[in-house]
Amino acid sequence: MILDIAHYLSILSTAIFMLTFTLVLILDRSVSHSTLLIKRSYSHAFLLFLISFLLYVYLALTDNFSVSYIAQHSNSLLPNFYKVTSIWSAHEGSMFLWIIFLSLWGFIFNLSTDRDLKVKNLSIGIISIIIVGFQLFLLITSNPFEVVLPFAPENGADINPVLQDPALAIHPPTLYLGYVGFVIPFAYALAFLINKDQSIEWEKKVKSWSVMAWVFLTIGISLGSWWAYYELGWGGYWFWDPVENVALMPWLAATAFLHSLSVASKSNVLRIWTLLLSIIVFSLSLFGAFIVRSGIIDSIHSFANDPQRGMYLLAFIAVILFVSLGLFASRLNMFESSKNIKALSKESFISLNNIFFGVLIFSTMMGITYPLIYELIYDQKISVGAPFYNAIYAPITILATMILVISIDSRWGRTIDTGRSFNMLYISLAMGLIGLSLIRYFVGDMSFIIMISFLMGLIIIFRYLILVIKNILEKKYINTPSVIAHTGLGLLILSISANSILSSEKVFNMKPNEVRKFENIRIEFNDLELLNNSNHDSIKATFALDHNGKSFYLSPEKRKYFARGQITSETAIKIMPIRDIYLTIGEQLEGGQWVVNVQLNYFIRFIWLSAAMMAFSGLLIISNIIRRKS
Amino acid sequence: MKLLLKIIIFIIPLIIFSFFYLYLSKDNSYPGADYKKFDLPAFELQSLYDENFISNNLLDGTYLVNVWASWCITCRVEHGFLTELSNNNINIVGLNYKDNRDDAIEWLVKYGNPYEVVIHDLKGSLALDMGVTGAPETFLITDQRVIAHYRGEINNMIWNDVFLPVIKERGLVIDAK
Repeated sequence: MILDIAHYLSILSTAIFMLTFTLVLILDRSVSHSTLLIKRSYSHAFLLFLISFLLYVYLALTDNFSVSYIAQHSNSLLPNFYKVTSIWSAHEGSMFLWIIFLSLWGFIFNLSTDRDLKVKNLSIGIISIIIVGFQLFLLITSNPFEVVLPFAPENGADINPVLQDPALAIHPPTLYLGYVGFVIPFAYALAFLINKDQSIEWEKKVKSWSVMAWVFLTIGISLGSWWAYYELGWGGYWFWDPVENVALMPWLAATAFLHSLSVASKSNVLRIWTLLLSIIVFSLSLFGAFIVRSGIIDSIHSFANDPQRGMYLLAFIAVILFVSLGLFASRLNMFESSKNIKALSKESFISLNNIFFGVLIFSTMMGITYPLIYELIYDQKISVGAPFYNAIYAPITILATMILVISIDSRWGRTIDTGRSFNMLYISLAMGLIGLSLIRYFVGDMSFIIMISFLMGLIIIFRYLILVIKNILEKKYINTPSVIAHTGLGLLILSISANSILSSEKVFNMKPNEVRKFENIRIEFNDLELLNNSNHDSIKATFALDHNGKSFYLSPEKRKYFARGQITSETAIKIMPIRDIYLTIGEQLEGGQWVVNVQLNYFIRFIWLSAAMMAFSGLLIISNIIRRKS
Repeated sequence: MKLLLKIIIFIIPLIIFSFFYLYLSKDNSYPGADYKKFDLPAFELQSLYDENFISNNLLDGTYLVNVWASWCITCRVEHGFLTELSNNNINIVGLNYKDNRDDAIEWLVKYGNPYEVVIHDLKGSLALDMGVTGAPETFLITDQRVIAHYRGEINNMIWNDVFLPVIKERGLVIDAK
């Protein structure tokens, strides 16, 4: 009964979103009473859809296993928290959530006020038709409301145990919020193009929306990296998995987009490029959904293989992309050729770095598609892995950071004052070189590319430090978000370099009460106990570690989940400022020994800290915008 | 300039979309499966654990050859299923592919060893002769002939749909030692 209501509400909501789109098409978009009608129509469609989702959450909480999806992915033994998160543990439910978020962004945007009624109403229409496309996809090819006939099973098949984790509860939602958030700048850019009024400053209006989506995307990607580190036991932070790459591409494009937005809103150049970027960012977000949900690529993230879904998504994304590109191309003449950008001005540096972002996105796209193209032509599978991406990302990032450090202190529309600014650069270069020689002294020999990375990371941080000190002394304005985000980038480069050369691991075979030493850490296998939990049994090993006179305990586990019989290992991590001690237990060997894996992961916390700094800088930008408005 | 921009923005996505279209429309539920039959190539390679050579003549009956490496993340994913097969008395020969010997041994210690024997194919020469393109891949071999081959991670579904039909069709007994 409740299931039917939820199902009907979803269908009804699709119809009302369609109605909203039709209203936008037929009504006079410039008057306020039709605006009110469009606004109400959208809000009703969204609220019905939201109620439908909440009912679905209720069904999951009450173990309604007559719903096929819930029966396949939940279980009555699960804690309530995971009954809810099991909704987004597979394709249908996560698509449901994805569309909820898509319409939620539109809903909040819908409530905001905008003097340019025409553009606002057009944007709402564009958002509505995109939602309709995805709702039809959900209801036709991947219906979460399907029932099990004729009898409901007594219990569900359980959520995949590696997904039973607090980080997973928030990682997909945050990532989705980031992906779909770019629908606002996309729709607004299209509306701006349709409306043909060049004087509207769409770049200023979409800035806070775009920054917010970027913040979610940044946090979502970092959470995924963190989850893979401690829950999957991969022991690292990034694996160039295809699905990590499809999240990275929109992030890179969005970062380029945010930089171009600030250029376009301040100096009226790069407007065409910014419009194109808004289309690229949203298309890449949709492309991510396509890759994960079409089963084209095997990965830990991919959902079940279903070519029909892939075809629908491919066709729908193609329509969105080509219609928007067609509109873009037909409106190119609307802009007079922009005046030349002054050499060595702030906009010239940002344009240059846009090219580097473009190269990274294009190469990543090649890395994902090349194996598929190769397979089509030669009927053989090849894999493109970390060596390819490292070979491209390392030099391009280094080049981009060089442009970045030169560009600090540059001005809008004016050539940089090379004398003053370059003096600062030389000082930071000298400090960087001193820092690098200290690192080399303590760490030992390293490869050329790592040395350059260390140097660039140090120069960025020193250069911004000098900038802040100088501007405080001279009582000048400091662009705090920019300083924080770029210092975060410097820290990211430093910590990735340090992590790659310092981290080490060792495998021991140990019996209880045995002692081993690894570097300066004494590891004693204390105890082994069997625990029974609500949905799994586990073997918990306890180790006493002694490190520089400090002692502490670590307890990695091996778990066996009842419903699927799957065995997982739980890592135990001692978090320290400089390095993590990362412990996992493996198989039991003959003779009572256990395989114990000890990893020392250096500076891994700083990698996430730098991502957090970037996200925080985004929040600062938004709070500044809000403060300026009120 | 604007014309060039127009052409580029249409051509790049068009190419990408058409490849995805072609890829999706290939009528194949298991793109990794391959039933080409061929003789097991003659080889003589060292065992992973000692200096002894293993040659094709030493391997009899029906068994699986699993291509793996310690650097391969998907191999870790598939490892649990291989262990399950091995516990059900199915013979699996490991073909350690382009891997450092110490890393490979350490990997097997860490995750457990589901293989009867492990061949150390440092240069990938046997793998090349068998048409291996990467790790993991799995071959079903009977009487010195390859009769089924799967590229990518094998799991229960792949086992039931790709390998078991061939085994049943031929009436093979795979768990005989």
